[in-house]
This record gives sequence, structure tokens and C-alpha cells, in this order.
Amino acid sequence: MEKIKKVGVRLAGMVRSSMQLRMGLIFFALVLLVVIFAPSLAPFDPYDLGDDLLVPPGTNGHWLGTTNMGQDVLSMIIYGSRASLAIGIVSALISGVIGTLLGAFAGFYGGKVDKVVSEIINIFLMIPTFFLILIIVALFGSSMINVMLVIGLTSWPSNARMMRVQAMSIKERTFVKSAISMGETKRQVLFKYIIPNGLFPIIANTTMGVAKAILTEASLSFLGLGDPNVISWGQMIYEGKQYLATGWWMSTFAGLFIMLIVMIFYMIGDGLNFALNPKMKKI
Amino acid sequence: MKKYLLKRIVTAFGIVLFVILLNYVIIRLAPGDPVRIMAGFDNPSQELMDALTKKYGLDQPLYVQFWRYITTLFKGDMGDSYLYNQPVSSLIFERVGASLLLSGVSAVLAVLIGSTLGLYAGRHHGKALDRTFSGVAYMLNAMPSFWLGIMLILIFASTLKWLPTQGMVNIRKGYTGWAYVVDVLQHMVLPCATLVAVQIPTYFRITKSSVMQVMAEEFVTTFRVTGMSERKIFNKYVLKNALLPIVTVFGINLAYVISGSTLIEIVFSWPGVGVLMYRSISMRDYNLLMGVYLLISISVAFMMIVVDLIYAWLDPRIRYD
Repeated sequence: MEKIKKVGVRLAGMVRSSMQLRMGLIFFALVLLVVIFAPSLAPFDPYDLGDDLLVPPGTNGHWLGTTNMGQDVLSMIIYGSRASLAIGIVSALISGVIGTLLGAFAGFYGGKVDKVVSEIINIFLMIPTFFLILIIVALFGSSMINVMLVIGLTSWPSNARMMRVQAMSIKERTFVKSAISMGETKRQVLFKYIIPNGLFPIIANTTMGVAKAILTEASLSFLGLGDPNVISWGQMIYEGKQYLATGWWMSTFAGLFIMLIVMIFYMIGDGLNFALNPKMKKI
Repeated sequence: MKKYLLKRIVTAFGIVLFVILLNYVIIRLAPGDPVRIMAGFDNPSQELMDALTKKYGLDQPLYVQFWRYITTLFKGDMGDSYLYNQPVSSLIFERVGASLLLSGVSAVLAVLIGSTLGLYAGRHHGKALDRTFSGVAYMLNAMPSFWLGIMLILIFASTLKWLPTQGMVNIRKGYTGWAYVVDVLQHMVLPCATLVAVQIPTYFRITKSSVMQVMAEEFVTTFRVTGMSERKIFNKYVLKNALLPIVTVFGINLAYVISGSTLIEIVFSWPGVGVLMYRSISMRDYNLLMGVYLLISISVAFMMIVVDLIYAWLDPRIRYD
């Protein structure tokens, strides 16, 4: 409890110190509201195939136009925020948890464990991850769960590398050494001191990871590897590409919203990084 | 240096083996029969299935199978594509050139433009132009690259009709000689602009931050106090320090020179490896897809090592790590 309170106090301090972080969080809260209240915000049922086929924005109450099937683009975008956010957050969390645990183990225990984990990290950083994700999704099916798992399971190395360095430096600090000499077990030290104290850069990196996962999902959908049962922004771009000449609105708006949501997570991530290293000038 | 070289080559070899193993595990674990995946389609004839079973020893124990898989690959045999009815390796080989042309040119343009803008912004930090550049870089960094490509088509090809929408040459005109070169260049403008635009933010950020870092150093202040001209400080010290991170990012981008343009190639139907991959996904030609993936992985591993060696040559400190 005490620990959680401390982390909370530190986070609150960060929010105060960085304007960028504050703005990012406000926008994120807005997006969350859209995600939660999608059914009451959307003017139409996004799955409903209406009679207005491919009408331009502003026609018959379709603010952003309709698709070739007669679906309302605005409603699709509102519902599509759910898929993007879910995939982004879940896969970034998977990658954050795996990365933190493996990195902390390797950095804290050192020796052979460290060698093996570092080697795996190095290999992963040298193989083209996007294509690995792509090939797994192509062969194993493109359900949302699959996409989340694959992105999470292939993107942890950057988190692990950071946490490893953190663990290596924290374990040399006095409070950890005194905890060990007081007779606390290694496992206790790892979970009570090393991980909580080294976590902040990982949180910042995980926020960036959400943005990257959203872009990866969009790219997969654009290749036709999205979940066919879910409305997602990437898929809207993919489907709109065929109607570019006659219905530019299909692709355009979906892409704009991807850009916006990615920017929100970049703002939060950058803001956190800035709050962590105030010496680093805003770039 | 020799020891370092040897170490890196061993690593590269290890990574290639790892990728092959990964490929193999994916084929084995994927739903469905591996024979069908290797055949590339769902209902191969009995003869083909028997031939594949024999070729990869699928009726033998697992380690024999894996050994066969590796030895066949090292012979340069990646199987046949059922879609094109040709060996996968020759299909890829035919298209590598177009990909290399597109991403090579873009990589060079991106490093030149991105770092020049970064140098300017770092030197004039906080001025209007710096703020504009930084804002644009932030937005470009958040855009899906393929969407930017689509938007450029929408504006410059569909609406303004300045440039062609897709492909690498105008097949109907059948240009030769100089006209052909001009035609290819015209087709290249939009895909190239997209790739450059999405790569610029990285160079911009990294150059700007390293310039600002050096400018804040105490030795720079000392030089200023002693009356050294601003230009001399910049050219002699700031520029030099910004160079290494730029080279690093450029090296990583070069490693992805075959695969980095995949999505953009698909948007513009540029006849490179990307389009090949797209067709293999949509037509479920798994053999071709695996072949492309393998080749991309190997090329990335190979290029990373080459880049590492160039660093070691540029910066001797790295060798003694």
C-alpha cells in the first residue's frame, strides 16, 4: 500500500512538471470517454448497411460520409477506437510485463541467466519484427487476440534491455545492499526494491509501445490481415483505398484518427521521459 | 579487429540459423499439415505431397527433418511458388532491384534532408522555423506510412494529375533509353517522397538533440569567450559530434533497405519484393511468403554486421568492447 502511494505521489509530481504529459493525459481521457460511450455517441449503427452508398461528408446526417456498403464513416471511426486502443494497450502491457520480468531477472541475478537473456534480446533486436508478426498472423489467423499476443510477444526486448540496465545499477545501491544484509531473500529484493524502483523508464517506453502497436495493427489491417469481425481504422484505410477516386473520405478520416491517437501516446511517453530527466531539453 | 570481425560473423550466422529455426517452428506449429503449407495451397495432388514428404523427409524424425530443411535452404532452394509456378528464389531475385532502387534513393535523401533540417533547428532552437519543423516532424512520426502514401496519391495523382498513380513504368508507352529513365523517375517521385517523409523525423530529432547537447557543453562556452567565431565552433565541433548518431540511424535504415519500403511498394504497386509479399499473403502462397521473410531476415542480419564493421573501422573504441 505504502509503495503504491509513493508511486502515485511521484506520478502526480511528474504530471505537474510536464505540460506535454498533462495535455496527453487529458486527450487520452477524452478518447477513453469515446471508447466507453461509443454506442450513445455514434449517430448510426456502424454495422448497419444503409441506403446511402458512398455519399460525401455532410449528406443526410452522415457527417463524414458513408462507405461503398452504406455504413456511416463517423460511427465506424467511433467504434473503431475500441479496437485500436484495446490492441495497443493489451499488447504493450504484455510486452511491458515480459520485458520487466526478464530484464530484472537478468540484471539482478547476472551470470548465466543474464548471458542467455541478453543473447535473446540481441537476436530479437536484429530480426525484422514486423515481418515476423505478419507471417505469424498470416499463418495462425488474424483474430484480435492473436494480433495482441503476437505484437506483445515480439516487442518486449526493448523493455527488457532497459530494465536490465536499471536492475544492474539499482542492485549496487546502498538500500538494496542493506536489505540483503538484513536477510531479505533475493526474490523479495527483486520484487520489493529492484522492480518498483526501476519501473519508470519502462512505463514511458510502454506508452510509446502502445503507439507503435496501434501503428503495427493498422499496417496489418492494411495488408488484409486484420480481424474481419472487428471494425478497425487500419481496415477502413484498406477498404477505402479501392474507392480513392470516388470516395476519398473512407481512407482519409480513419488515417487522421490513427495519427491523432498515436500522437496522444507519444505526448504521454515524451512527457514521462521529460519528467524523468528534467535535464533533457524538450526536443 | 580480426577477433571482432570473427565474433560478428559468428553472431550473424547464429541469427540466420535462429531465423531458419523460427521459420521451421512456425510451419510446424501452424494449423494444418506442413506438407500443405510447403506445397503452398490446400489440396495438392498425391504426387506432389509424396515428393515434398520425400524432399524434406517429413516421414523421418524431427531432427532429420530440420537438417533436411536447412541443407535444402543452403542450396538456395526455397521451394516453388504455386501462384507464379516458379522457384521462390528466382521470383525474389527478379524483384530485389526495384526495391533496392526505391529504398536506397529514399534512404539517402532522408538522411540528407532530415539531418540538414535538424542542424538548422538545433542551431536556431525556439525560433519560428524550428517550431514548425518540430511540429511537422512530430506529425509525420505519428502517421501510418501507407496512409501518407494514399493521401499523396489522392492529392498529386488523382486530383492534380501531376504524377502517375502507380507502377514503375508506363507499360502502354513502352519507352526506351532516356525517355524510360524519365518515366521511371516520374513514377518514383510519390513513393520516394512518402518514404523520405516518414524517415525524416528520426534524423531530425537525433541531429537536433545532439547539436543542442554539444552547444550546451562548457567547452563551447569557453570557445565563445575566447572569441572563436560561431561558424567555426559549429563546423568544427558541433557538426562532428552530430555525425555519429546520424550514421548509426542511417546504418539501421540501410539494413532494412530491401524490406523497409514494403508497405509503400504495396500502396504504389511498385514492382518490388513488397508487392510479391502482398500477393503471397492475399493468395495464401505460404511458400513464397516464408521465402520472402527468410530473405529479408538474412539480408537484415548481414547488413547489420556490415554496418557494425564500418563503425568499428570508424570508431576504434567499439572494437575493444
